[in-house]
Amino acid sequence: MDQTEIFEKVVKILTPYVKNQQALEGVSLATHILDDLKVNSARLVDVVLEFEDAFDIEIDDDDVDKVETVGNAVELIEAKIG
Amino acid sequence: MALRPIAPLPAGARRRLVLQREFSRLLSPLAIPLIGIALRWVLGYRIEGLQDFRREYRRICLERNGPVMICANHLTMIDSVVIAWALGSPWWYFRHFRTLPWNIPERSIFAATPYMRVLVYALKCLPVERGGNRAEVTEVLTQLTHAVSNCEVALIFPEAGRSRTGRVNPDSAASGVGRIYRSIPDCRVVCVYLRGDHQDDYSDMPARGERFRGSISVAELKTDYRGLRASRDIAHQIAQRLAEMEQEYFDDRQ
Repeated sequence: MDQTEIFEKVVKILTPYVKNQQALEGVSLATHILDDLKVNSARLVDVVLEFEDAFDIEIDDDDVDKVETVGNAVELIEAKIG
Repeated sequence: MALRPIAPLPAGARRRLVLQREFSRLLSPLAIPLIGIALRWVLGYRIEGLQDFRREYRRICLERNGPVMICANHLTMIDSVVIAWALGSPWWYFRHFRTLPWNIPERSIFAATPYMRVLVYALKCLPVERGGNRAEVTEVLTQLTHAVSNCEVALIFPEAGRSRTGRVNPDSAASGVGRIYRSIPDCRVVCVYLRGDHQDDYSDMPARGERFRGSISVAELKTDYRGLRASRDIAHQIAQRLAEMEQEYFDDRQ
């Protein structure tokens, strides 16, 4: 699975949690999940758990703290998929 | 249940934590009675079964000298103060200072001015900006985890904010509370449900002259999940227990 495919899947998973739909229109790897997309920080774990299911990977608790941008999420998933 | 290793706390942060605790301990013989007077005689609050609340908390704390995390429902901005008042007398906290709970209030509200920063510092608070810089949030949560693992008590609201519907919603539990629990071996979770008779919804302050009722119980927590799912499951179980206590509260009032 290439980076573009992962990116598209990540954005699809994020969409229901996004409060700022306008920011979603211009989403890129640099888009900040909490600050730009206004995803509730308490819900970030739910998002990451959906990444686990969608990509069949396991993400550590501490790795969640490293996910700030869409790009961070894509990189983390890429690394886990190997 | 697999524990997740506790993150190391830098020496500087550890020193700051100890310094804050000792500063707070120094002021507590004055601050705690003053807060009690303000709640009882200025705001006119009363707690139904106050002595039972305090007796049960004493029993839990003295039963075993281990880590304790209090998890409570959240309806007003001063819940943590009212809960601390409900759980112990000034004399009790003077003799068992570790049982005065640490709190993690929202920085933008409770530490907005220098005066408030000093006040919350003296009251064992570690202000945090929810949804703010992840590294800072993590450091505060690590400080709190270290305090609890050293047999101090922490008060956490599993919903991470006031219940917007006025009722505990187990699905809104933030997994952070589960992460903290899973980092602390042998940690007991004490659920506290407290609500004013006139508290229909969430608000900034309870009504003047409010009468609070509620209950306290130790939660039995177990999960077969691992990692993030385990944290979320534990958080959900705690909030579910609070929701059950809430139901008992309303059943008793009928």
